[in-house]
Amino acid sequence: MSREALYESLSAVMDDEADELELHRVLAAGRDDAEFRATWARYQLARAAMHKELLEPRLDIAASVSAALSMEDTPKIKIENTPKARRFSWGMVGRIAVAASVTVAVLAGVRLYNQSERAGAEMAQQATQPSLPIPQAHGTPVLAGYTEGAEQPQASSPNEAEQDANWHEKRLPAYIRQHAQQSTVNGAESALPYARSTSLENR
Amino acid sequence: MRFFSLLLLGGSLVMPAHAADAQNWLSRLLKAEKQQSFQGVFVYERNGSFSTHAIWHLIGQNGGARERLLKLDGSPAEMLRVDGRLRCVSSTSADQLIEEGVWPPRPLDPQELTNWYELRMIGESRVAGRTAVVLAILPRDQYRYGFELHLDRETALPLKSLLLNEKGQLLERFQFTQLDTSTTLAKEKLEPGPACRPVKVLDAEGAEQDSWRSEWLPPGFTLRSAHAQPSPISGETVTYLMYGDGLARFSVFIEPLRGVPVEDARSQVGPTVAVSKRMATADGDTMITVIGEIPLGTAERIALSMRAGGEKAD
Repeated sequence: MSREALYESLSAVMDDEADELELHRVLAAGRDDAEFRATWARYQLARAAMHKELLEPRLDIAASVSAALSMEDTPKIKIENTPKARRFSWGMVGRIAVAASVTVAVLAGVRLYNQSERAGAEMAQQATQPSLPIPQAHGTPVLAGYTEGAEQPQASSPNEAEQDANWHEKRLPAYIRQHAQQSTVNGAESALPYARSTSLENR
Repeated sequence: MRFFSLLLLGGSLVMPAHAADAQNWLSRLLKAEKQQSFQGVFVYERNGSFSTHAIWHLIGQNGGARERLLKLDGSPAEMLRVDGRLRCVSSTSADQLIEEGVWPPRPLDPQELTNWYELRMIGESRVAGRTAVVLAILPRDQYRYGFELHLDRETALPLKSLLLNEKGQLLERFQFTQLDTSTTLAKEKLEPGPACRPVKVLDAEGAEQDSWRSEWLPPGFTLRSAHAQPSPISGETVTYLMYGDGLARFSVFIEPLRGVPVEDARSQVGPTVAVSKRMATADGDTMITVIGEIPLGTAERIALSMRAGGEKAD
């Protein structure tokens, strides 16, 4: 396939207009071809500048694509049955997302990347790990897009940091559910808050 | 993004008469939900989740409404509502609901809504095989999100509802794939399944309404609900406040930390944002968590503006 056609496909991917075949071509090139990878990064930069959007140099789409592809074969069922799956973990989100679909992972990654300036750096960083529904055996629903605050103190001990993470992890799912459910009580329109509420129960 | 530019372009060409028209359609929608029986299937989609649901909505002889919702994929989550009151829910946290008696649900007021949102008719569409009129509900400030509503031309029922952020990006989709407004509903379809448990209503007492207040709220948001509840995790008393502008809503949870070292946090679940801020009070540090379908900046500002009763802003 010609170089021009490949770059055309890349443009299409960046405009969310690529078909699946094009996307796979771009993904493959992004993995194997350093020059192409650099072009992709430049496109991303140009696009961000054009839209005055957040620039996050740490986000390496090509690398995450490669990682996604290398993990493509991870059997989904295995993850579901691991006891670890009950615990909240970004690594797990990433793996399942990959198992579900590389296409979605990459497209969602690119789209999320541009989503919000105010969401700040850590949001953009996590954009390569789109939150697809997590199959879970038990336990609390996974908070998709859960991020810690930007102002992490440098000095805090690991023990304290862990306690901190658990504090929010324990409460936020219940809080968010209560918010959604209370909306069904107080809201005029019933079906939408209900649907929001049930979407939090990823079981 | 493309859609939003179209929306803006379309909007600039629309005559003011369309605003009144849009308001009429909203009024029709509110009436329709009280008067029109229907059954159908809809999808709900947000970042990280896609689900399908069945809905049966029956208006009785006396005008009372009975509505049953059932999730069709995954766990069969279910809900039954009779005359606007939740009767049963199959959910893990159904015991967290608050009696609405003290804070009655306030119906949406299209006239009032126009103070905070601009209403526009932006065209026609086709959803679930039916002709729809498309209504844009655009925020007048940056503190809330916009909606795109597709209302059934025949009945004014909402066939599709999109939540859009300030860039016009889709945050959530609610969309009927099939709607039947003519067939008589079978009675048994409105009977809840065994998993649907009666709602345990929390005592609304202990809601010291002046214990916490917000020094700043986006225009139009008012307190819709307030109470105190014991935290199932720490046993501490959590103050719960809910605010709304008639369309958007957010909740504020306030929990004393008792010296536990906890940092601030932010997260986003589809259209719902959660911002936690630690705040020093006379009784020690407290964690303020704001959760709602509002922009992150709004939630941050609200969290920062919460004050314990009697305390003044710095």
